[in-house]
Amino acid sequence: MINTITAELIKVRSLPVALATMGGTLAAAVVLAAAIAASGTTTSPTQVVLQSITYVQVGLILLGVLIIGVDYTGTNMRTALIATPNRRTLLVGKCVAYLLAAAATSAAAIVAGFLTATITLAIRESATETGADTWPVIGAGVYLVLIGLLGLALALLLRSLIPPLVAMLSLVLIISPLLSTLTSYAQYLPDQAGSLLYHRESTAELTSGTGMLVLLAWIVAIGAGAVMEFRSRDA
Amino acid sequence: MTLLRTIAGEFRKTLTLPSALVALGIALFGTIAVSLLVASSSAGHVAHATPASVVFNTIPLGTVGAVILGVIVISSEYTANTPDAGGGRQISATLVAIPHRLVLLLSKVVVVIVLTVVTAASAIPASLGLAHVILGATDGEENLRDLIARSAGVALYWTLMSLIALAVTVFTRSGIVPLIWFIANSSLVSVSLLLSKLTSLAGYLPDLAGMRLFAAPSSLAVHDPLEPLTGGLVMAAWAIVFLTASMLAFTRRDA
Repeated sequence: MINTITAELIKVRSLPVALATMGGTLAAAVVLAAAIAASGTTTSPTQVVLQSITYVQVGLILLGVLIIGVDYTGTNMRTALIATPNRRTLLVGKCVAYLLAAAATSAAAIVAGFLTATITLAIRESATETGADTWPVIGAGVYLVLIGLLGLALALLLRSLIPPLVAMLSLVLIISPLLSTLTSYAQYLPDQAGSLLYHRESTAELTSGTGMLVLLAWIVAIGAGAVMEFRSRDA
Repeated sequence: MTLLRTIAGEFRKTLTLPSALVALGIALFGTIAVSLLVASSSAGHVAHATPASVVFNTIPLGTVGAVILGVIVISSEYTANTPDAGGGRQISATLVAIPHRLVLLLSKVVVVIVLTVVTAASAIPASLGLAHVILGATDGEENLRDLIARSAGVALYWTLMSLIALAVTVFTRSGIVPLIWFIANSSLVSVSLLLSKLTSLAGYLPDLAGMRLFAAPSSLAVHDPLEPLTGGLVMAAWAIVFLTASMLAFTRRDA
């Protein structure tokens, strides 16, 4: 098990596109935090970080999709299964590798965004609110990891790279904002439910705790289908 | 003659790509479905909902479809086949069949333009008609000329976004980066919108410049957007610059 996790981590480290995604997410977090802080819509670094999550999540989704997706672009999956014939072990290895990589990326992106926001706000000399609330920021970090995990599950279900990526991006960036203005059921969409982890105001039906459970339920539902398919189909 | 035959070939190729059909389906059925949903949920509740206000707010979804089409027309050529089937790329076969690269790229552009315009020409009138049926007679009937102009604006906006995405994919070859960039930027929370809070110059970015082609000024989050004609011209200029650059690159680079 440990060997599989190590192997999957080496795979992530040696994939230029995965490293580029992690670096790109970090860079995007810094640029976005600077841009939002400079636009003067808020004076609290926490709020700046939370506003940037909408964009930063793209990086984590890409990371999650890539961990599975790149194996399906060539014959990598077959090679991986020859090396680790136990499919459950391989999957656990991949998930743990993703969780480690994603947790590091998300933590780094949020800390970097927070520092950038603080510095930008200080340069603009707007009264910075100090003693920031840490819980929403931690919630945002957890949300980023979980939304990427949903991307990973979807990639495993669809056995490809581009379709799950397009589906996830359309969901979080287009469909969910469109539907949220229409129907209150939109709050049960994975990204809206998960966003309660870092948006303080809870809706009538969901709080941050139940919101996270809804997001987890999405992950489990899609993941369960994907795992069943992965264990029974030929690679 | 070669150009016509190449265009016919590219049409057949594009329409047999499952992802192209998905892209067109998103633009066509996505727009109709969301319009239906918005119209039926606002009927009776929102007094000032008109077919135009409903339909022209669902345009971002169709933009995603148009962008996917523009990207995959190019990126599908560069995707490597499975090693079992030789691991080749479509582009080699394509260029053997049509050695003239400019003709090839032009015919791809023509295919994208025709497909996007046809999709817009079916999606928008259908959505407007359905919304009209659901909402019934609304006070402040829009005048027909305005509706036609804005529908044409949607077709133009989708086409230009799709062409810009196509041109960018000629450079990147892989579809991942252009897809992420253009989907994120078609969204209601686009990066351009964020930039527009920093500098008014962001209004000249292609996606924001063309917004007024179809959107009512009141529905835009941008302060002081460009007028429809100016905006359309600015967006078209972007598309022409990107396409020219991509043609230079495509004719000079290794396949």
